[in-house]
Amino acid sequence: MQADELLVLVAKGDQKAFEDLYGLVSGPVFGLVRRVVRDPAQSEEVAQEVLLELWRSAARYDPGRGSALSWVLTLAHRRAVDRVRSARAAGEREMREAQRANGPAFDQVAEEVEAGLEREWVRRCLDRLTTLQRQSVTLAYYDGYTYREVAERLSLPLGTVKTRMRDGLTRLRECLGGAV
Amino acid sequence: MTVLFRRSELHSLAAPYALDALDPREYQRFEKHLKRCDSCAAEVRLLREDAVRLAWNTAAPPPVAMRDRVLMAVRTTPQEAAPGQTAQGPQPHPRAAQQPLPGMRAVRPRPSRLHGLLSPLAATTAAAALVVAALFGVQASRTQDELDQQRTQAREIANILAAPDAAASAGRVSGGQSINVVASASERAAVVTPAGLGNPTNGRVHQLWLMRPEVQPRSLGLFEGDTPLLATDLNPDATSLAVTVEPQGGSPQPTSAPVVQLALKSVGFGE
Ligand SMILES: [Zn+2]
Repeated sequence: MQADELLVLVAKGDQKAFEDLYGLVSGPVFGLVRRVVRDPAQSEEVAQEVLLELWRSAARYDPGRGSALSWVLTLAHRRAVDRVRSARAAGEREMREAQRANGPAFDQVAEEVEAGLEREWVRRCLDRLTTLQRQSVTLAYYDGYTYREVAERLSLPLGTVKTRMRDGLTRLRECLGGAV
Repeated sequence: MTVLFRRSELHSLAAPYALDALDPREYQRFEKHLKRCDSCAAEVRLLREDAVRLAWNTAAPPPVAMRDRVLMAVRTTPQEAAPGQTAQGPQPHPRAAQQPLPGMRAVRPRPSRLHGLLSPLAATTAAAALVVAALFGVQASRTQDELDQQRTQAREIANILAAPDAAASAGRVSGGQSINVVASASERAAVVTPAGLGNPTNGRVHQLWLMRPEVQPRSLGLFEGDTPLLATDLNPDATSLAVTVEPQGGSPQPTSAPVVQLALKSVGFGE
């Protein structure tokens, strides 16, 4: 059965359907969360919360709004981004304190935008974007930065980043569009 | 700062929104805007699908133990009613109102209260933490006393779930009403979660009973909505759990036939 059909059963309290749904989506959910959150233990925690949230909130899935997998991954992405931002905020506080204690500030803008992209075709399509489009999109989606943070990291005006994000996503659609 | 939120500026937030790249304040503003702006709503639907393509190449096998934890947690976790349907089933989820699923519109960010509650339990078991998340999500806690009581209950639930002999079972009747139980014979305890019981009319209540051979049923407590009940000091010879509808405040002994009954043999009792 497809994820879409399973979600409908899950919404009715069908635990067997949830087991099947778990089989279909746990890999994509865990992988995406880990890509954003990085830390393995925290990734596992977030992925579990997302999967349990699917059980709890299955009734909210509206097939008219898109595929079940999109819905699930959109949820997973949002939770992963929430986690990485709060971890980052805590880390930055610690770093500021460490800097006060240890003297000169150090710049830790280390770009690893391309790291860990396993599958060739998404990479190939990403490669077709301009550098700024690619960086804007991946810093936001894979690394959980807000567009304001992306603008800061790339030293670009806010308007430029927003435009690059939209153009980048649109070009990705053109490149990957047929490959569903 | 308000200058940044001119309407024309808001239109341009569709792509960052689709990438989850707005800060909480802008996120809220844009969600409001989405309700009024059809072109942004249409654009967001498309861009969201585009963003999800970026997840195509990130799939990875989750840790094997995660499956058991999630499936176990599911057995004790109440579900939300479908939007607009409240007569039966679990109470609307306060957290859900604040953090909508994709396609739903409400307010971020997630309340930090939950994290504070989860962390002391994280060491026990992840399944327990999930159950606690569900518990605390369902109940709108108000007083410190209630919070403390819930923490204690959460710890006890964690112990049951962590017991080596913890086993799960579900009793279902027609109409979608059921109770799920995770029990440990060694701990002599069980977590009992109603599903779809709803609240009886006329101020009456759902009362949970422990049934034993040749002994009067013993009350294990009253359900509040679909919040799990923790049943302790269970007798090893217990044969089943039963739920009856009773007058407000509950009864010393059942006054009606059970609406749901669940045998305990499969979870290690009755010997
Ligand atoms: Zn608009």
